[in-house]
Amino acid sequence: MAGGSLKRCSLEGKIIVITSGKGGVGKTTATASIGAALALEGKQVAVVDMDIGLRNLDVVMGLENRIVFNVVDAVKGKCKIKQAAIKDRRIENLYLIPASQSDNKDVLNPEAMVRFCKDLRKEFDFVLLDCPAGIERGFENSVAPADEAVVICTPEVSSVRDADRVIGLLYARSITPKLIVNRIVPEMVERGDMLSHEDVVEVLSIELLGLVEMDTQVVISTNTGIPLVLQKDSNAGQAFRRIAMRLNGQKSLPIEIPQTPKSFWKRVGRKIGIG
Amino acid sequence: MLQGWLKKLMGKGDSKNVAKKRLQFALIYDKLEVSDDILIKLHQDIVDVISRYFEIDKETLKLDIRKSEGKSALVVNTPILSAKRPHPA
Repeated sequence: MAGGSLKRCSLEGKIIVITSGKGGVGKTTATASIGAALALEGKQVAVVDMDIGLRNLDVVMGLENRIVFNVVDAVKGKCKIKQAAIKDRRIENLYLIPASQSDNKDVLNPEAMVRFCKDLRKEFDFVLLDCPAGIERGFENSVAPADEAVVICTPEVSSVRDADRVIGLLYARSITPKLIVNRIVPEMVERGDMLSHEDVVEVLSIELLGLVEMDTQVVISTNTGIPLVLQKDSNAGQAFRRIAMRLNGQKSLPIEIPQTPKSFWKRVGRKIGIG
Repeated sequence: MLQGWLKKLMGKGDSKNVAKKRLQFALIYDKLEVSDDILIKLHQDIVDVISRYFEIDKETLKLDIRKSEGKSALVVNTPILSAKRPHPA
């Protein structure tokens, strides 16, 4: 439960859906990380798990044992927003509205979500909706209330293809999405064995929001529930912080391209498969 | 194993170009639901027709289908090396 009162700076919050079509490309990690980073920027942030029946944002954020109410309760008016929003333990101004685990996607509908998000706008500067995989009801519910959309894909054929489909569906709803390319392996790109971000952007013809490299810290962060963005040595965490700054209006902040390690021995080590 | 290592140390991969080509065709196919065969034929025919009038780099000719406002547009992009002079009759 959210302790104390929720204080806000601006008048009307922004609703951003984070989506991908394909599952397992890093939507939940991205939602948790961008949400945490926006809160570190001093914004009031709610992240909402829209994956009804298969919730996971709670464990990624380390808040799984504090759930009392969930998004379905809040949308149906069974509890107040404040009761469903769990305050993060480590980061000020960050709240999680978890999914319900026992229902399915049909318990919500787009109209109800639009109404619910209207209320959320009054309480938060940013509301990030973690969209479930797929393009069915869960997707409809997540996209209907969104002002903006962030599409995540990895540099793989299957993921880019699904991203293209989702981008088409977003355009049809008059939303112009921005792209995050996740899990880039710079060595493989350099070698010609992985699509570069230029390739992906060319195929999808969409504005780029950020580039995130493959980072083993993500696994560690998910194991422990400690936010990725608080780990100074995590390249992915730092990339998500820059993405958050860009979403927060710092549009001129340059997009950093993941690079192979500079040190010669590190490169040799990586090439022969150690380290 | 040693071969794999050597390949890693020396070789330049090329699988991303394969991926990109497959992806571009897959997206066109997804949008129009025409088969690969038809697209390859169309590609060849366009190359033939343009080649009658211009010297082009056949390898870099790109066939693309873009969707805007519910309609699909066929976009052919090719660098022109030079115009062919018509043969005097």
